[in-house]
Formats: sequence, structure tokens, C-alpha cells
Amino acid sequence: MLLFRSEEHLERSGKPKGAFMTPEQTWRLAHTWYHDRDDPSWHRRSPKEAEEVFAEIGLKGDFWVMT
Amino acid sequence: MRVRIAVLERTIASGQVPTAGEIAADLDLPLEMVQETYAKLGESHVFVCEPSDPSRLRMANPFSAVPTAFRVSARGGSYYGNCVWDSLGIIALLGGEGSVETSCPDCSEPLRLHVSGGTLVESEGVVHFSVAARHWWDDIVFT
Repeated sequence: MLLFRSEEHLERSGKPKGAFMTPEQTWRLAHTWYHDRDDPSWHRRSPKEAEEVFAEIGLKGDFWVMT
Repeated sequence: MRVRIAVLERTIASGQVPTAGEIAADLDLPLEMVQETYAKLGESHVFVCEPSDPSRLRMANPFSAVPTAFRVSARGGSYYGNCVWDSLGIIALLGGEGSVETSCPDCSEPLRLHVSGGTLVESEGVVHFSVAARHWWDDIVFT
């Protein structure tokens, strides 16, 4: 997952287009995903749980389906 | 579980993802046992193993064991993140205060994200995911 200056910069780079999210969405995703990673009781999310996290921050559609 | 936590704690303290030998010494465990645990953590997609060396991790997520284009400063330490998501994840793990410095893959212009008090207070650019979620672990280094 890379940070481009704008969507136009991705097009100019010639890399295939996938999906965009804002830095704010990425921060919310990162916080939910990693804030408790050093807790001994942490467990890896199931695909369904991961999809629920994506949906909570507005990431919906086939691109965000884990299974 | 002890090994996973020890890897994260040592990485946070030193800025370097530890080898199996370093964790074996820290926890007074046989090297082989730590290597087996590294392999299991890799198989379960918690960490990512270095394919050619059972004593090394490529990623102790969210940390990268090798230099990347994502430099993270948080809680007085300096780290490499695997991607934007993981770089912000380092800041989340370390209390929600820090910055990510990278550059646009197209124009090479520096880009910076800054988090303060648990809020993203400075941001620029757009985050791009090239690989659909169901394929992330087909080749996690590329992802």
C-alpha cells in the first residue's frame, strides 16, 4: 500500500489501478488493526472479522472481500 | 505467545527486528524452539519469515526488518514500516503520536503524515491498494 500525491500520479506511474482510501481512513484502519498488537491476549482476526473492520471505515465491495 | 511479544518489545526498544538467536538468549529458550515459533508465526500470517533464513523475519508486523520507503518516528524511536497501513500501525501501537515520511512513487516528492494525540493532524496524498484483499497473502512482500 503506497502513498501517492494524487490519483493522477498513480495513473501517470503506469501502475495498475486497485483501490484508493484517504489517509484518514488508513489511520483508522491502522489504529483498529494494530493498537493492541502487543497485548498478550491479541488474536489474529478471522476473514469475516477483517471484513467487518473494513466496512466500519467505509471500505466495501468486492475488492475488500477476504474469502 | 512469549516469543511474539518478545519480538515486538525488542523491536520497539531497539528499532531492529530481532533474530531467533537474540530472542532465544532473551527468553533462555533453545534456538530451534524459537526458529520453530518463527515458522509457525509465519504460517499463521502473524509475521513474515525471511525465506532463506529460519533465524530471521522479514516483517514483524507492523515493523519491517529491512529498510523500506516508509520511515516512522514515534515515541523517540525510528522504524521502518512495511507500507502506509503498517507505518501508521506502528504509531498506533506506540501510543498515537508520531510521523510517517515517504515519497510519491510517481514524482518522488516527499510526503508526510503526522499523528498527534491519537488524531491524524497532517496528511497529504491518497493511499492506493494495488492488490484485492483476498490476494494480499499470495505475495505479501509485493502487497
